Amino acid sequence: MTRITWKIEGDRDISGEVEDGLNLMEAAIAHDVPYIYGECGGCLSCATCHVFVEPEWLEMTGPVDDVEDAMLEMTDVERRKTSRLSCQVEVSPELDGLVLHVPIPE
Amino acid sequence: MTIRHPGDDGFSNLSDHDSFIHGPPHHTFARLRREDPLAWTDGGQFKGFWSMTRYADIMEYNRNTRLLSSAQGIRIEDQSHEEYLARRTFQETDPPEHTHTRMLVGKAFSKPVIAGFEGIIRRLCEEILDQALAQKEFDAASMISRQLPMRMLGQILGIPPEDLDWLVTKGDELIANTDPEYTEHVLDKDDTEAFRLMPFRSPAGAELYRYAKRLVEDKAARGDTDGVLHLMLQPNAQGDRISDDEFRNFFCLLVAAGNDTTRYTLSAAIHALASQPELLGQLQQGQDTIWDTAADEFIRWASPTMHFRRTATADFELHGRKVREGDKVLYWFVSGNRDDSWFDRPFEIDLCRSPNRHMAFGQGGPHICLGMWLARLEIRVLLQELAMRVKSIRQSGDHEYVRSNFVGGIKRLPVRVVLK
Ligand code: HEM
Ligand code: FES
Repeated sequence: MTRITWKIEGDRDISGEVEDGLNLMEAAIAHDVPYIYGECGGCLSCATCHVFVEPEWLEMTGPVDDVEDAMLEMTDVERRKTSRLSCQVEVSPELDGLVLHVPIPE
Repeated sequence: MTIRHPGDDGFSNLSDHDSFIHGPPHHTFARLRREDPLAWTDGGQFKGFWSMTRYADIMEYNRNTRLLSSAQGIRIEDQSHEEYLARRTFQETDPPEHTHTRMLVGKAFSKPVIAGFEGIIRRLCEEILDQALAQKEFDAASMISRQLPMRMLGQILGIPPEDLDWLVTKGDELIANTDPEYTEHVLDKDDTEAFRLMPFRSPAGAELYRYAKRLVEDKAARGDTDGVLHLMLQPNAQGDRISDDEFRNFFCLLVAAGNDTTRYTLSAAIHALASQPELLGQLQQGQDTIWDTAADEFIRWASPTMHFRRTATADFELHGRKVREGDKVLYWFVSGNRDDSWFDRPFEIDLCRSPNRHMAFGQGGPHICLGMWLARLEIRVLLQELAMRVKSIRQSGDHEYVRSNFVGGIKRLPVRVVLK
């Protein structure tokens, strides 16, 4: 089990133990994190699982491939350097303590 | 509670389009979800097929494109490889090929790009409602529901207004090719052999191909860089651009998929407002946040794309049923959206339902509707404008459904309105 925290500006943080092997989108849905919809089930077709990774954790989440990079152009809240599509990051023990920020649409 | 219509005894034949002429056979779907969640149906004139009807099963399998592939067709009809190659769009491909095209066209339909159309959509809604509501009594399906997606597609594709009606009539011929009102070549009744290489096995497809080609050439000649077409033809960051064939097929897909789906959802919504006036009251007096959720609830309720098909690429077993390689499997999204093991009170319209993880857009897989942001926005804005103008809406005659088990909904909806 790996501890993940989602920070939602102006709202409470959500923190939870996540089973390794799930991806961060599935983990968010299991914890009812708002604004993360994951509508395409992790197939890189919807961009509704966008998160900002706390900068010091960014490297740990691994590289962004071409498809994810193209999909990051289609997010509701504009991408930043720390953007990831959370369905592309698998939960593993090295991510224990990971902090994510949930983009809030206007 | 399920909504039951005459003739739906729980054993409706899902391959028979006549089983859908009073709306989807929800009583049958409810029985299948309970007793036979991967049910076999003999196909009549086609090979038989499996029906997946539970929400959880569809969600689990839809992303597994290796096992259940789109690359042998997404409608029930059987097609030869030759027919498939001539007619396919990117919807009839699997990742990674599918991903490639989707990346090229995705941006033009992404939420932020579509959000920029809200003003245009609102103006179109004003125009449409001014015309329709002035009549007090009219067919809401043709005067309202058909108009908005058609005019909006015209706007984003840069199609001259005078061509729109022709274009949408052709689109209807493609999709509703089982309803004699929409086509002279009814798929399950007439001989359509001569059209087998044309999109949707219909001569309308060939006409649309020619139109798309001319449209792009004209635009290029004028140096016109407005609209989605231009955006779609731009190379992406890797320098790739969609091919002319891909574009032409894609154009047909847009005309077909971008019209009747939104149309039937709007008709289902107006029908609901007419038969349950308290819903109109909620839209008018509710908090503003109701507009964040109402459109998706109407989309779940309408589920106009009732199923899409996949083909098994290997044998597998589920719920004691043995599916063989080459078998057709249908995802009945319309059934998943009424599954009470996922939704609380699925047969009620709850305009504040949240979260509302419905599957009307094919959620849970790579083919999730490309036009979903556009559809959601059109439906929200139209209902906002309608709710502002009317005191009441009542049905003034019987409504009628399209004869189809594929994409369907209310095709005629006589209403009487009292204005504010
Ligand atoms: C309420 C309205 C709509 C509904 C319910 C709907 C439903 C769907 C569904 C269920 C799919 C998935 C098909 C599959 O799994 O094989 C789909 C795909 C698609 N839809 Fe929609 N649709 C709607 C509106 C639109 C609009 C307005 C457009 C375009 C302007 C559009 C364009 C497409 C395209 C191009 C695809 C294929 C995507 C792919 O294969 O990657 N749709 N739609
Ligand atoms: S869930 Fe659709 S892109 Fe991540």
